[in-house]
Amino acid sequence: MENYTAAIPRGKLFRNKAKTFFSKPQNVILLLMGIVLTISTVAPIVAIVGDTIKIHPGTIDAYLSGRDSGYTAANYIDLFTSPLAKRNLWEPLLNTVWLSVGACAVSILYGGLFAFLITRTNLKYRKYLSSIFIFPYIMPQWTLAVVWQHMFSSNAVTGTSNGLLASFGIIMPAWWCIGLFPSIVVLGLHYAPFAYILIGGIFRNMDANLEEAATILDTPKWKTMFRITIPMIKPAILSTVLLVFGGAMGSYPVPHYLNLTTLSTKYVSMNDKYTGEASILAIIMMLFGVAIMFVNQLSIKSRKNYTTVTGKSGQISKINLGKAGKYLIAAALIVLTFFTSIFPIISFGFETFLPNPGDYSFLYTGDPSNLTTKWWLTNENITENGMYGQMGILHNSTIWKAYGGTILVAVCCSLFAGTVGTMIGYAVSKNRRSKAANYVNSVAFLPYLMPSIAVGAAFFVLLSNQYFSLFNTYTILIIVGTIKYIPFASRSALNSMLQLSGEIEEAALIQNVPWYKRMLRIIIPIQKTSILSGYLLPFMTCLRELSLFMLLCVQGFILATTLDYFDEMGLYAFSSGINLILIVTILICNTVVNKLTGASIDSGIGG
Amino acid sequence: MRKALTALLVAALVAVPVFANGSAEAANEISPVEEIIQQAENMTMEELAQKAIEESNGKMFYGVGNSSRGATALPLFISYLQTIDPDYTLNYEWQQPKNNKIFDQLTADSLKSTGTFAMTLIQDGNQIESKMVRTGILDTFIPKEWAEANGTTAADYTGYLPLQTLNKVFMYNNTGSKTYDNVWDFVAPGEHGLFMDIDSEIVGKNFLYMLTAPQYSEELKTAFEALSADEQAVFQPTIDAVASDAEDLGLGENGKYALAWIKLWVESYNAQTDDGPICNTLVSASATDQFGLIVYSKLRSVEESATVSKKNVDIAAYNDGYQGFGGFGYCHYLFVTDNSPLPWTACAFIAYMVNTADGFSAWGKDIGGYSSNPNVAAETEAIYHHQTGGMAEDGVTVEFPALNDRGGDWWLSDGRLVLEDPSYCASVSFTVGSWIEMLSKYTPS
Repeated sequence: MENYTAAIPRGKLFRNKAKTFFSKPQNVILLLMGIVLTISTVAPIVAIVGDTIKIHPGTIDAYLSGRDSGYTAANYIDLFTSPLAKRNLWEPLLNTVWLSVGACAVSILYGGLFAFLITRTNLKYRKYLSSIFIFPYIMPQWTLAVVWQHMFSSNAVTGTSNGLLASFGIIMPAWWCIGLFPSIVVLGLHYAPFAYILIGGIFRNMDANLEEAATILDTPKWKTMFRITIPMIKPAILSTVLLVFGGAMGSYPVPHYLNLTTLSTKYVSMNDKYTGEASILAIIMMLFGVAIMFVNQLSIKSRKNYTTVTGKSGQISKINLGKAGKYLIAAALIVLTFFTSIFPIISFGFETFLPNPGDYSFLYTGDPSNLTTKWWLTNENITENGMYGQMGILHNSTIWKAYGGTILVAVCCSLFAGTVGTMIGYAVSKNRRSKAANYVNSVAFLPYLMPSIAVGAAFFVLLSNQYFSLFNTYTILIIVGTIKYIPFASRSALNSMLQLSGEIEEAALIQNVPWYKRMLRIIIPIQKTSILSGYLLPFMTCLRELSLFMLLCVQGFILATTLDYFDEMGLYAFSSGINLILIVTILICNTVVNKLTGASIDSGIGG
Repeated sequence: MRKALTALLVAALVAVPVFANGSAEAANEISPVEEIIQQAENMTMEELAQKAIEESNGKMFYGVGNSSRGATALPLFISYLQTIDPDYTLNYEWQQPKNNKIFDQLTADSLKSTGTFAMTLIQDGNQIESKMVRTGILDTFIPKEWAEANGTTAADYTGYLPLQTLNKVFMYNNTGSKTYDNVWDFVAPGEHGLFMDIDSEIVGKNFLYMLTAPQYSEELKTAFEALSADEQAVFQPTIDAVASDAEDLGLGENGKYALAWIKLWVESYNAQTDDGPICNTLVSASATDQFGLIVYSKLRSVEESATVSKKNVDIAAYNDGYQGFGGFGYCHYLFVTDNSPLPWTACAFIAYMVNTADGFSAWGKDIGGYSSNPNVAAETEAIYHHQTGGMAEDGVTVEFPALNDRGGDWWLSDGRLVLEDPSYCASVSFTVGSWIEMLSKYTPS
């Protein structure tokens, strides 16, 4: 063999090797994606690192360096050593870490407990509870923060007008109304569906033999829980931490509305005068993303795969909650989910009929004349009619144009991210032992772990300059959304591809069936449910994404920025109306996809 | 894998200069747009309109501004041009960026040989001065008729072209017994005024910078001296404590009054996301004894209901014997971009907004915004009757006292508003500004 190889000219050998390499579609995909994803990940990082040393006229770096152009280290020196370091860096950093850790804890405890009750017990109304539980994830995250304000604010404590509870004499303390605690709760509730889906997936497929063995051996229940159940769901917990930590860290609107200073809010507030220093904050947030990435790598290395646990057992025993227990606990959960999922929707609906934002006169008087349909039906903005110069929601071209733009961005991101992610999942599963596959898999996941606002900031610097003029275009939103949400598809595709035996595709390969046909006729149809969730999640996330897009377009361009604009302006009728439009859109899409393909966000866990 | 990722990050750091952009440099020579502006400053509105029609018929016009109402003014401008040439058409897009992005957007656009934006309507004199004008990104155009109405000429006038001055005024909920007759009352112990955070809306920071200017620090001193001895005793320790800082910052003998008021204000105001929610709060019956410093025009859209009323609010400066400033004023300025793709059309549009009541109507229909053109201001008042906007139908009974806007002449004179001076703000933003940033903001507890 050696002699034979030596006889072949080196060039021909290389060509043959290359031909063999490129004859495998998974290799081509890996090479292409490796290049594209490296550029799309590195270029924005490079751009924002550059921004930290660039002198910006009229900002602190120009003042400290005494120049209006060029490069300087002044931003680093000032941010880390000035008397403002504590206020501009360390306090926001600490708050951000607490917020992220707290949001992880709440989402895991709430989502995990919920998943346990839905999948491992004979709880009543599981299907309803399963569907309703994901609502906070569907809604834009800050809308819960606004609902929180409307509920708990009071003249006595927050120094504003009375919210709903205060109107009935219930005054909540300041730590409950604003700051870290409500921010943690709101983000924890928003991300709890992550924990529910991931942990629930494991609970559903978990072999009950181990727990039963413990029961036979008379092991106390708490010991069974801590020694058997929790270790088994540890990968899902780690997975939830990976997803929630970056999400909470990059959240701008929730801490903004609840008056908590984090790196994200500081980034925005420092950007006028401390532009370069704000970019350093974005880099610090990115470094957290990279750190999470390394944790991810370590977890894979230690063979504790964090995605899903496979290996089904036929013995899935459900814990009997007792005759009354299964109803009582279900009732408690129904009440709880009412406040996290239904009440906000009722509140949004109600808000659109109030005469003034936050004006609950109708509740005090019961007089229907204190309700109005003006926020929906007004069709002119010439006369002063209490509409702040806006037309009603049904006639408001800004809202409907933004709606169209949002759908366009969501559909494109979903198609691109879903397709690219599926291909990556396929290619990685085919080369799962190779370093290249691992690299592509990791680099595709990295943008998701990076805080949204930092990614947005980096792409703004990269794509809004003398070379590119993409600010406020759908192109930039689609590019960024696609890159950010590829992991949704790549992870679900990879997990599903790994379940597929290679023989299935090999049989077709022997028959000389081309690759695209193998994909379209064999692989995708078999795993369509998982693959479709890879399309569905980017779509839904894009519909209400703000932190990622807010630095890349103006208000009124997409629905999330429009909603945020109205919320900031205090025009809650409009923001509530937009929320309702978003929720209805997502529910319709989810139902249609579910009816057509069986795929859905909660993946039928409650079934 | 870790090595690969590390290498990736190192590559990112090393490759910085490849993607890093040089900043725009102010041009020494006069630019083509500035040449056009020089010609335009000698033209009448009609002549400019003719030039605009020649230049932009059937084209696309991009404007960017802090006010969304540019989008309302543009179709009126097109209609005006169509009265001269009925076949004239213009497609347009008006953008309103948030979070200070307008400066980034204009800076990025300025790097192109021909920009996207033809003109801008922009606020925050400090950043305009330091980021836009000194760098040559924006050019000032002074329309002929506007200069004449103000008794000057384009050549003699120094400064930017303001479309209007907007006022943010102290207003308070009057359902309790509390009243405010001195500007120091707003920083008294226990007071927590509702105010947009100075990091969210930079014009609020400019207001604080301006307090250190001699005329306003003197006004604060005068107001302080009008307080009773007991009241003075409350504030005196703070004034004494900041006296050395005022000296270090070179703020003159009355600077300590300004710094003391700023310190007490920053450490007491209750930050809100926008003026809208503040207005919603103040008009509510449940907001007894709350006060805020917000844009006057926010009151316009409040609808009367069982618990909400415009009657629940009083304007502090309208109180008899009120001492000190009643709020602050800032301008919406108009500029042509130095690489404007449609400079003639931009000049014509700007002239239309500052020279005609129709052009100003998008803003003029509301209280609290005063055209910089006295003729337009008078015409606007004649159309909308803002000074009697709070009267009942009989024209005699005062129904909503807060809605009787006393007008630009009243507000803009005698120190009733602290008015933004871009040059002064830019000169102290890293001295007084840094001092302010060291103060601890209030958090409800």
